[in-house]
Amino acid sequence: MLNRRKFLQQSVFAAGAVSVNHSFLGEIEEMSSITKLTILHTNDTHSRIDPFPMDGGKNQGLGGVAQRARLIDQIRKEEKNVLLLDAGDIFQGTPYFNLYKGEPEIKAMTSMNYDATTIGNHDFDAGLENLANQLTRHATFPMLVANYDFAKTPMEYKYEPYRTFKKGKLKIGVFGVGIELKALVPDNLFGVTQYLNPVQKANEIANKLKKDQNCDLVICLSHLGYQYKDNKVSDEILAKESENIDLVIGGHTHTFLDAPVVFKNKKGQDVIVNQVGFAGIILGRLDFEFSKISKKKLANSVAITVTKKTGE
Amino acid sequence: MKKIFTLRQPLVSMKKIFSLPFILFLFLQISCNPVFQSQNIQYKNYRIQKSYKPDSTLVAVMKPYADSVNNSMNEVIGIAKEELEKKQPSSTLGNFMTDAMLIMAKEKYGINVDAAFINYGGVRLTQLTAGPITKGKIFELMPFDNMMVIQKVTGDILQQFLDLIADRGGWPIAGITMEIKDKRAVNILIGGKPLNNSDIYFIANSDYIANGGDNADMLRPIPQQSNGYLIRDAILDYIKKLKSEGKNISANEEKRIADAQ
Repeated sequence: MLNRRKFLQQSVFAAGAVSVNHSFLGEIEEMSSITKLTILHTNDTHSRIDPFPMDGGKNQGLGGVAQRARLIDQIRKEEKNVLLLDAGDIFQGTPYFNLYKGEPEIKAMTSMNYDATTIGNHDFDAGLENLANQLTRHATFPMLVANYDFAKTPMEYKYEPYRTFKKGKLKIGVFGVGIELKALVPDNLFGVTQYLNPVQKANEIANKLKKDQNCDLVICLSHLGYQYKDNKVSDEILAKESENIDLVIGGHTHTFLDAPVVFKNKKGQDVIVNQVGFAGIILGRLDFEFSKISKKKLANSVAITVTKKTGE
Repeated sequence: MKKIFTLRQPLVSMKKIFSLPFILFLFLQISCNPVFQSQNIQYKNYRIQKSYKPDSTLVAVMKPYADSVNNSMNEVIGIAKEELEKKQPSSTLGNFMTDAMLIMAKEKYGINVDAAFINYGGVRLTQLTAGPITKGKIFELMPFDNMMVIQKVTGDILQQFLDLIADRGGWPIAGITMEIKDKRAVNILIGGKPLNNSDIYFIANSDYIANGGDNADMLRPIPQQSNGYLIRDAILDYIKKLKSEGKNISANEEKRIADAQ
């Protein structure tokens, strides 16, 4: 029980706080409210500008940038905080790329207001000078990759390891990791590009984003591939060996995941991994609901729940 | 005992605001730098359908490119009598593509090539549907501007290359039949004869594989004969050749690579 004197002191203190700080009630409001963030994502779109032709194939009528753009537009009208992300291999797969070397693909992404992408192995296919030119001329979004060193290549000033985004009250850190180039991309196409350990770089950047930059959410755009039979580094391995990554948006293996998969990281915390096939057949959506909690509480890791969005 | 309030309670009544524990709780929160955390995530996969209304701005931006692609790529170059499928260890689509390489290599290089290969990942469509085949479809099947190159290899090197193919679960192949046992190539027949380690063979590959791509390191040091002829052009020319002979594209069901029993 509080004694009467102490109670009075504290009441005065509390009353003072209310009267001095007019935004105090607003702060209470802010602290108790929930902030929503919608992540939309693609991977391995592979120059699929038009829907697959109606030729009896199993993907006939699926995909198409104009159809995707319209859907994204509708979601943006309904949701305030939207991030649109891609996990690489924008290039190669239809005659659009043979004729225009990525120009319509990048223009379409700019028109859809993509926030960021990473680099896939096929984005090297028309050479690094072409990639750098297409990005310079037609992209308003950054190409993020933390484990390639493009020094002394045409991409030297055309990429960034990470970027942070402010969405409402949230700060989101996004970075990229790319796959081992040797034996996958012809030597002459990647030239003097240095491939660095993706797990090591990912942890380094994620730590920076979470601890130094105070990001509320750290997202890795990965072109490593979802999973392999051997111990080749993949999104699964990255997630398990990571710290401070909340979400991995993957690519490369063209994996159609029915639902996002949750792995435990080095500290026993949950990491979500998702990948949506290829060719823009699927647009992935993840809705996060953020509430404010004390840092103390955050230290005790809590399991996240991932459920299917209903009612639409 | 005093009730401890949590922030997950969305509505805060005035009475609660001025209650002592809540005030204390707020100061505690502020002094501890509260952060955002998300525990509940909802997902949804949107299947993008042709029936979705297209965005008119993007249609306009894409139109000049689409017109030009349609102009140069919609030409029907042949007919597929039936569906050809991409599969491992052996498939009708793989047989068709490597047959095209084997036959066109003989025409373009004047060499009796013993075998032709494509890496499985280099086949970019999972099927070639029955019906009219456009030029654009072949560009989608083989979008890479990879050249067809010829290499002269010993049976020993060829065995190593076939072991890689076996380890990968089988690639499209022409001129050879073999079985996969414990991830190794066994019972290899070339032109109907068993592989001999000291014999010399001429093989056709993409420059990508001949340069050691997809871990074909054993081929990297072997000299290449190349005239710049693309694998895609070999497939296009093969379809034209079939057409000139009055033939359609058909599925060759031969199991050139099989898993050993």
